[in-house]
Amino acid sequence: MNEYSIVARDLAYNYGDLMAVDHIDFEVGRGEILGFLGPNGAGKTTTVKMLTGQMKPKDGEAKVLGFSVVDNVREIQGKIGICFEETNLYEGMSARENLNLFARLFEVRNFDPDHLLDRVGLSGRGDDKVQNYSKGMKQRLMVARSILHRPEILFLDEPTDGLDPGSAESIRDVILEERERGASVFLTTHNMAEADKLSDRVAFLNQGRIVALDTPHSLKQEYGSRTLKVEIVNEEGELEEREITLDTEETPENVRRLFAEHNVSTVHSKEATLEDIFIDITGRGLTE
Amino acid sequence: MNYRAIFSLTSKDFFLYFQNRLFAVVTVVGLLAYLAVYFLLPAGVDQTLEIGFHAPAQLSSLEGAREEGLEFRSFDSEENLRKAVEEGDYVAGIAFPEDLASSVAAGERPTITLYFPPDVPDSTKSALKSTVQNWGYAATGKSVTVEFSEETLGRELVTGPIPARDRLRPLFAVFLIMTETMGLASLITEEIETKTLKALLVSPLNTAEIFLAKAITGVGLASIQAVFFMALVGGLSRSPMIVLVSLILGSAMLTGISFLIASVSSDTVSVMAWGILALIVMMIPAGGVLFPGASANWMRFIPSYYLMDSVHIAANFGAGWSDVWTHLIALTLSGLIIGGAGVKVLERRFR
Repeated sequence: MNEYSIVARDLAYNYGDLMAVDHIDFEVGRGEILGFLGPNGAGKTTTVKMLTGQMKPKDGEAKVLGFSVVDNVREIQGKIGICFEETNLYEGMSARENLNLFARLFEVRNFDPDHLLDRVGLSGRGDDKVQNYSKGMKQRLMVARSILHRPEILFLDEPTDGLDPGSAESIRDVILEERERGASVFLTTHNMAEADKLSDRVAFLNQGRIVALDTPHSLKQEYGSRTLKVEIVNEEGELEEREITLDTEETPENVRRLFAEHNVSTVHSKEATLEDIFIDITGRGLTE
Repeated sequence: MNYRAIFSLTSKDFFLYFQNRLFAVVTVVGLLAYLAVYFLLPAGVDQTLEIGFHAPAQLSSLEGAREEGLEFRSFDSEENLRKAVEEGDYVAGIAFPEDLASSVAAGERPTITLYFPPDVPDSTKSALKSTVQNWGYAATGKSVTVEFSEETLGRELVTGPIPARDRLRPLFAVFLIMTETMGLASLITEEIETKTLKALLVSPLNTAEIFLAKAITGVGLASIQAVFFMALVGGLSRSPMIVLVSLILGSAMLTGISFLIASVSSDTVSVMAWGILALIVMMIPAGGVLFPGASANWMRFIPSYYLMDSVHIAANFGAGWSDVWTHLIALTLSGLIIGGAGVKVLERRFR
């Protein structure tokens, strides 16, 4: 059995002169959550479209579950689940009807929509028309639809974007449950905190290229610097903020002097975020 | 082909179609309205029959004459008379020979040519011949023996006169089909705009299966309506299989048009705008059906001509397969061409 769910080699796609995906290489292991991070236009969606058979690569190759994304699209699409960024449900139908329709299309036997609705926190709302749902409820239903056939890989495009904390948490729980079940998850997002929380590894995508790919912990160790954020009370009795970089030769002396010479009010350690690291590597933020 | 999935998709399309109140109402109201119009139109025909004639000067006094429900109008040439009868303006034309008087005087049997459109019953022909004989008797005071030469202008299908409402049946049927066509185009447009189609395209269904499901929905909605209408107005009493096949082929061809409309529309309003444009074009051949003789050759380039004409001659004249096979082939070919073009352009919008 192949240890990777997804393997991309030299994968590329261009729109005319614009190189949207510029010869990237990566793998996603079975049962792994890969966070695919990058600002708008970095090539995330194009990559997902190639991996899910919606677009043919212009160069390179990719295999999903051992199948070629060019020659075996139908085999791939029967085994993957996709949750799009934009809501695309049949709004005139109820949640249960939406799920039942796709269960039939995926030929799921003995499908129980209520169990699934319960998993995404929509129990008791199955008969309501989707047009009466809030954004969060619709997104939860989208996630439910993407997992109803127990896919081997789940592609999630900004699954919690713009959602209330409750809905976002419920979706994160489902993602982790799917990973527990053994599914691989390809998570595209520009929510760094979410990627940090969920992903086993993250790939930074910038202008179509993968500029870093590792576990969040390793990236922080490699690129980030830890700091100590200190608030002192100055001579005028006002609070003043100071920052000391940790893990340097001067750190112990800097800390000793601060405590000896100032009236320290509060001390917090601060770790680099993925966002800081992304900016450090690419020179641009994720929201640009 | 995954037929279970196609069936699920078709069921979903029917469900969503009738969820759209506009199309649900139009479907029912359209059917009822055309039925109402059909039954409100006169069931019979005007009993005064207009006859054209071309005759030597001595018979020109017949102009405006009325006799047993016949009204006569003079033509300055036999050619113009022929043309008027062919265009359906007159139920018959009488062409007297220029040497009529001298022939009768010489005791010869002059030949009088009678022109008829295809749908003139034998009783009318006989009545006309008797009238002509009577004129001879009235003019000479003795029985005049003449030869009649009959020529049927246009299609050779002999039957009684067709009431206007029966002539309108194919037109109503095409209207109904076009309504459903616009409904399907709206449904597809909505699927594209709300991106639900994207969700289908990444399911195990392939594009061909999605198109097949849409085509079944389109042909089903359109032909069921049209067949139901034709059944209620007696349009299936003669050559029912030909009418059925024509309506199904026509629905398939117009489903191709709905794919074309969906490929250029962004919402229901633009579907309506493009749909009305298509409707106007498709209705042009109706003139040839409603007004016999008004049919020009260029109308044959409009595929709905073959739908209307085959339904018309089958339902109204009891035409057989040998009369309509060329129409059905033309309808099938145009359906394949339009359907293929519709699939091609719509497929581009799917991506």
